[in-house]
Amino acid sequence: MSGIEIGLISLAAMVILIYAGMYVPVVLALVSFVSVWVMRGDIHLAVKLLGLATENSLSSYLFGVVPLFVLMGLLVNVSEIGKDTFEIADWAFGRLKGGLGIATVAANAVFASITGISIASAAVFTKVAVPEMLRFGYTPRFAVGVVAGSSVLGMLIPPSLLLIVYGLLADISIGDLFIAGIVPGAVLALAYAVGIVFMAVRYPDQVGGTVRADESARPSMTIKGFVAKISPIVILVIVVLGGIYGGVFTPTEAGAAGALGALILALAKRRLDWRTFWQVLVETGHVTASVLLLVLGATMYSRMLALSGLPAFFGQWMAGAGFEFHWLIAIFVITVILMGTVLDSISIMLVLLPLIFPILIGMEVNLVWFGIVTIVAVEIGLLTPPFGLAVYIIKSTLDDGRITLMDIFAGAFPFAVIMLLVLVLIIAVPSLSLMLL
Amino acid sequence: MADGSSPDSPFSDPKNIGREEPVGRFSFGRLIELSNSAGTILILALLVLINTDIGGRAFFNSPVSGVPEMVRLSIVAIVFLQAAHTLKVGRLTRAEIIIDRVVAKWPRLGGGLGALYNLTGAALFTVILFAVYPSFILAWNDDLFIGAEGDFTAPTWPTKLIILIGCVLVAIQFLIFAWREVRKIFNGSAGNG
Repeated sequence: MSGIEIGLISLAAMVILIYAGMYVPVVLALVSFVSVWVMRGDIHLAVKLLGLATENSLSSYLFGVVPLFVLMGLLVNVSEIGKDTFEIADWAFGRLKGGLGIATVAANAVFASITGISIASAAVFTKVAVPEMLRFGYTPRFAVGVVAGSSVLGMLIPPSLLLIVYGLLADISIGDLFIAGIVPGAVLALAYAVGIVFMAVRYPDQVGGTVRADESARPSMTIKGFVAKISPIVILVIVVLGGIYGGVFTPTEAGAAGALGALILALAKRRLDWRTFWQVLVETGHVTASVLLLVLGATMYSRMLALSGLPAFFGQWMAGAGFEFHWLIAIFVITVILMGTVLDSISIMLVLLPLIFPILIGMEVNLVWFGIVTIVAVEIGLLTPPFGLAVYIIKSTLDDGRITLMDIFAGAFPFAVIMLLVLVLIIAVPSLSLMLL
Repeated sequence: MADGSSPDSPFSDPKNIGREEPVGRFSFGRLIELSNSAGTILILALLVLINTDIGGRAFFNSPVSGVPEMVRLSIVAIVFLQAAHTLKVGRLTRAEIIIDRVVAKWPRLGGGLGALYNLTGAALFTVILFAVYPSFILAWNDDLFIGAEGDFTAPTWPTKLIILIGCVLVAIQFLIFAWREVRKIFNGSAGNG
């Protein structure tokens, strides 16, 4: 059998085993190990490659970003900044039609700029925003739909764990990726807001909600209260993004400084005792180990692919068939969205990216732009049935039997459509992602 | 968080955590908790180390030397110290949506698959153990280090030792899960028959 054939068989085996529920890092490493063994007919070589990948692939200063940004995100969570951002946004937008929906989106966008984990935002805003929207007569479907839809902003607006993983896989600057995510994230938030107004005007029954014309029902906010709530967020954003953008910090250092800032903030707000802090650290460790074991598996897999010659073969075949780039992008995006119905975001990236990177590099595609495209496509999967992680998180946080999984998927659907439209825009206009670089 | 694992995976029910471990006595569960805590402390150390370096550079013009090397070594250590516990609490990434339905419908088939998956995991980490072992021996015997002599150097054997220990712990945890699945198959048949 040729390397190409073995590569194709191992690709199929991998997808089947992952879908069958085997641990993803185990599948990636095992299939790669067996493929190298069969390809070279030498088990010692396969063992040696496995050992080298284990020792070397994570042994980099850059990987420090993972635990540090996760820690920052979790600390931001316990310090209840999500609640503060929602109060500010409610005060600013609450009186518009569909205003609480817009407030949820705006609060999520701001929250996203200091945390890098979507799932965290989904849980926070389910607790903060959903009860408030229900209280003001919004339909349950709309309320949970807004939270699900806007929680994906967390991974697009920097810092973002998905952008970090993409950067590690693509071997490109995480700082560049962070900066590239800003404008597309803002565009997506704006598109959500426009979509909400459109829904509120066109389908008022589906959205519900009373407009708070009466001043006394409006949340009160003094200038001092506003400054007290907004300034910690602004400071954290300046430290992390400003530090990276200004070239003062490496991404790893920005993560450390951001985590320290979030720690001080949580302490100042008296939200952190030793027990909570330890829990946060343990949780950080679990996320880190789980993500980096995936990256470890993916390293072995991409080395195996390189050895099999499969990506080069695909590239030549496409060039030979006169295959145009926009078709490649279309097929990639459709594949990502289909895989997103069952698999989690990082696993999708790990399976597809090592296969497509050599082709993209051959075509001189800008990998930073492609990263933003990938993240948005992958994140659509968080909202689609049967397995939409954001939807499941909302369901488990909600603890309300009247709102079913179906309701949440239905409520999230318009937002998935908006994401798809914004994705097309991001693909068509690369400068949206690259203008700040 | 970013992974797709839900804590109520049939293979690793968090309700089982700590159940068979009597307080104060040594057990495998305690061992991996200890290892997990060591990894947790290492994360805290990273936070302190990098911020000290930043502060030292900014205010005292005296950076801490060897920070990149220490981060490199500790990140691998963190992963392998925490891998077994991550697996135990059901946070190792899996796509459970399909298997969960199989388990619900045909519990014995589900148990069989669960046992198979966990045995595969144990086998893989055993292979990694043997793959890394020679390099640990080399680093130990030849006193290999990273960094630049005269500035900052750190030996590489401790990280490699931690990889070996981590592989053993993960493999044992996989075997425990596999054994549980096998028992479930037979208990299930006893209950039905």
